[in-house]
Amino acid sequence: MNILSILQIQPGTMILSGILIIGILFWIFWPEKGLIALLSKVNMNNQRVHLEDALKYLFDCEYRNSTCDMNGIAGNLNITGDQASKLLERLLSMGLIAINHQSITLTDTGRSYSLRVIRVHRIWERYLADETSVSQADWHNHADKIEHQVTPEDTEKLAAQMGHPVFDPHGDPIPTAEGNLPNHKGKSLSQLKEGNIGRIIHIEDEPRNIYEQLVVLGLYPGMQVYVTDVNEKKITFAADGDECTLTPLFAAHITVELLSGKVPLTQKYELLSELAVGEKAKVAAISPNCRGQQRRRLMDLGIVPGSLISPEIRSASGDPVGYRVMGTTIGIRQKEAELIFIDRPKETSTKQ
Amino acid sequence: MQNTTNKEREELLNEANSARWELGLDFHDTVIESIYSNASQIARKTVTQKGEKEAYSADLKIDKIVTSRWLGFPLMFLMLATVFWLTVAGANYPSGLLASLLVDYMHPILKSAAASINMPWWLDGVLIDGAYLSMAWVIAVMLPPMAIFFPLFTLLEDLGYLPRVAFNMDNLFRKAGAHGKQALSMSMGFGCNAAGVIATRVIDSPRERLVAIITNNFSLCNGRWPTQILIASIFIGGLVPAQLAGVVSAGAVVGIAVFGIFLSLVVSWGLSKSVLRGEASAFSLELPPYRPPRIWQTLYTSLIDRTIFVLWRAIIFAIPAGIVIWLVANIHIGELSLAEHFIQWSDPFAIIFGLNGVILLAYIIAIPANEIVIPTILMLTVLSTKLTGGAGDGVMFELDSVGDTANILHAGGWTLLTAVNLMLFSLLHNPCSTTIYTIFKETKSWKWTLVSTFLPIVMGLVICFFTTQIWMLFVVG
Repeated sequence: MNILSILQIQPGTMILSGILIIGILFWIFWPEKGLIALLSKVNMNNQRVHLEDALKYLFDCEYRNSTCDMNGIAGNLNITGDQASKLLERLLSMGLIAINHQSITLTDTGRSYSLRVIRVHRIWERYLADETSVSQADWHNHADKIEHQVTPEDTEKLAAQMGHPVFDPHGDPIPTAEGNLPNHKGKSLSQLKEGNIGRIIHIEDEPRNIYEQLVVLGLYPGMQVYVTDVNEKKITFAADGDECTLTPLFAAHITVELLSGKVPLTQKYELLSELAVGEKAKVAAISPNCRGQQRRRLMDLGIVPGSLISPEIRSASGDPVGYRVMGTTIGIRQKEAELIFIDRPKETSTKQ
Repeated sequence: MQNTTNKEREELLNEANSARWELGLDFHDTVIESIYSNASQIARKTVTQKGEKEAYSADLKIDKIVTSRWLGFPLMFLMLATVFWLTVAGANYPSGLLASLLVDYMHPILKSAAASINMPWWLDGVLIDGAYLSMAWVIAVMLPPMAIFFPLFTLLEDLGYLPRVAFNMDNLFRKAGAHGKQALSMSMGFGCNAAGVIATRVIDSPRERLVAIITNNFSLCNGRWPTQILIASIFIGGLVPAQLAGVVSAGAVVGIAVFGIFLSLVVSWGLSKSVLRGEASAFSLELPPYRPPRIWQTLYTSLIDRTIFVLWRAIIFAIPAGIVIWLVANIHIGELSLAEHFIQWSDPFAIIFGLNGVILLAYIIAIPANEIVIPTILMLTVLSTKLTGGAGDGVMFELDSVGDTANILHAGGWTLLTAVNLMLFSLLHNPCSTTIYTIFKETKSWKWTLVSTFLPIVMGLVICFFTTQIWMLFVVG
């Protein structure tokens, strides 16, 4: 067949086949849902992943002083009981776990292996939270994939780059490279009594659907909670002054450190984004939800508790607003201005 | 001895670690806060302010105008349009002067010098017609626009106006998942994509920076404006009565540039929804006070840092490319030269995209600089159609009159469709080698360099393909 016969094809057919080819290419290359992504996902579910995930789960049980059985592992890894028992056999033969009657415990080798995996996981979560703009609900899942793929050296390099962080973004301590971890502390929010004041130090990121809802409610490590009402069905508290109600099931996913001698925040902070051009206020705090580079940058520019701030110009397209702070004007997007808390001065005198 | 110190060190590190666990999450903030309160205490004691308020209120007045809802954008377009107009119009004369000096005057001298020392024809061809001429073209067409554009741009920057552009444009870029400062690298890209890629250094988050680097090529750079203007005035200006021709062809070129901006936003959006996923991240932009520009310093830095820097990179790539251009036109296999073989072989494919083999080959071998695409196309057209005229096989040339250029292109079988597709392909093809090299330098990643190189080519071919087929369906069919 002559090459030139291509030219005889009708333009209509050409257009259709062009669209078809583009469609197929998209289907193959589309990230996360495309053919290539699906194939690599199938590849991911290999033995190493299951092994490491099982160790992680066992360690987690141990850390929280709860017992752990085969069903728990099967449920956590989303595999059948049959697969789980095979997996346990393998772990046993590798000398990573010990089984007494029904309860499974880690051996020393198993513990240090799982601590290594956890270290990688938490460092990557920290990295995803601070240095990338991966959404909050995805940190855990991304880190779950990455932890099985990276080398320890890469992770150490990353940790050094970030200044050796000691907490992951959910408030969990990151094990040291030598495998040390501080003792479990804090209480579950569901155990708090009326009138208690505490600070959120951890929000459990599994299962994802509960975590997502807690994120939507705007809860994050570092918030002050003040419990106002507890009964069997629900617990009501003020989180940084904002009233919130959770069922005990949800509240159990939040770990709180009790604070004493603090004045409870009963009023919600006002947000910088609520200030109108020309008004003045004092920065009260930056939300802990603003992390990493973004937070450092705001603080570098002089947005620290106590500094005076005043919106001055609005951009032609409306969104970033120029704020006058510490003698310079800084453009901040609305979304970031919502993460900055302010104190309006008491209205003593009108404008000069 | 060694053992005990090691052990001690270990213990110390452990202690430090547990101390950091004890300190908790907001330890960093406390440190920064105390530094600030210390600093402000010291400042209050030692610094007295006098008369600063006045100067600042003038700034605020200007800011209120340049960022106002109604005047903000028109002022911005006016400012940028003036810069581009000054560049395109102002570069014409010095470019012609340089061309006549380096090409019309120096080239024959070198040729006759080579003849007088009995240089073999092929060496003379490779060195003088290939390497020297390609370098001369690049200097002649690249230097003047850059020497005008960069200082003007730097002046706007120095004045403090550019951050306001980013401030105004941010909303648009935020919606595309990009950074407001991409407006700056994009505007810089209109001057030179390599400089635009370097300008993305002002974006501090790595994801947004990559988006800005990959999409920078969609800004129609200085090297491509002349191609667009030439083709538009021959083929599109020719469609309307003479008195309207100028306006219509200028409109077509502006249309292509605006299409480029539109694509750069669409591609930014696509990238941040797929491979570079993520929400729009931190944006905080300092709006510095206006200040009178330091003219001499501006001239110096923009000439040395930008113009000479970019030009040097371009020359380094232009010399080997010139040799290749000469060789493909002069090495014969059988009856035909390599270039003709390629042109004949690729013509059937190129026609599906509404282009032709000459254009494809020109874009492949003229990779060092978009400026030499037109001279290469002319040379190849003359070569492949066996026209008289031109300057000889492998010798790039340009014609003084637009009419003569039009004649050659018409003889090469060009139609309005070819012209439209060339304009699209000139916007959407791989960045020049200088830019590709710069992208590699900036990203340190082969992967992103390849993406930035091939993404525009693929898009260009797809868009040309559909333009051509739809055209055939409705106009010809």
